[in-house]
Amino acid sequence: MPELPELNPVIHGKVRLALLSLLVGVDEAEFTWLRAKTGSTDGNLGAQLLKLEEAGYVAMEKRFVIRKPQTVYRITEHGRQALTEYVQALKRLLGSAIEA
Amino acid sequence: MPSQMDEQDLKDRLNLIESMIAEGRRTTAHWSWLSVLWGVAYLAAMAWSAWGPNKVWAWPACVATALVVMAVALSGNRNKGHEKHPETTMGRAIGSLWMGVGISMVLLFPALGFSGRLGDVHVFIAVVSSFLGLANGACGLMLRWKAQFVCAALWWTTSVASLFGTENQAVIIFLVAIFLCLIVFGFYGMALEARERRQRGAVHA
Repeated sequence: MPELPELNPVIHGKVRLALLSLLVGVDEAEFTWLRAKTGSTDGNLGAQLLKLEEAGYVAMEKRFVIRKPQTVYRITEHGRQALTEYVQALKRLLGSAIEA
Repeated sequence: MPSQMDEQDLKDRLNLIESMIAEGRRTTAHWSWLSVLWGVAYLAAMAWSAWGPNKVWAWPACVATALVVMAVALSGNRNKGHEKHPETTMGRAIGSLWMGVGISMVLLFPALGFSGRLGDVHVFIAVVSSFLGLANGACGLMLRWKAQFVCAALWWTTSVASLFGTENQAVIIFLVAIFLCLIVFGFYGMALEARERRQRGAVHA
């Protein structure tokens, strides 16, 4: 019997998984947009994004637009690769769960 | 533990990924009001050039007014602090297409008008309709939106049909196209956007 794949624990959290999935479809996204889409609080969202940033999956940039601070995030190549691998592992696990 | 997840949990994860990717890629920017704005501007310009004083200023004045209204409304939205939808490749492509068509029209028609080379109404209507057919057709194909492609087909039909028949017939065809493809289509788009706004809330992950 083939060994079951392990799921990446950094991506596995639901909010972090949602964040990476949102970011994979866009060039970059503002903190406020990510908050609206995930329904998270500022504190929780900041903590989850920090974990993704520490893992090198997302990059953060602070800038000023019309004198207002704006924090934007984008997925890195490393993050894109990790999400792809996570989805593949998930599908293999699902396949084995159906077969069982 | 991830390895001890049940089948439903695995499916939920996949569904979450799928829905979030779709959410990110969905165009939530609302642009249909611009179609109505430009439809009204075109109709005002046509009415002014038919019945108003200083006919030569009808199109420049109406186009300039529409540009100012558009700029003020867009900057107003930005300053309200609404969450801005992130840029996507698709959104940028569509925005660039309309900007390119808009710049071409804003440069070409005043230049033709002031140089005195825009004497033939048939040609004016054919070129405007052709530009709008191009932009709507490309957008309709990119978005796979049949309604917009139908608009493009109407613009292309207008472009060809306006070259035949009398000047009055060409103007009537153009007015019908403006009404259907800018005003009616704009209100249809606004209704779809309003429905989408009602249906969508925050996706709690």
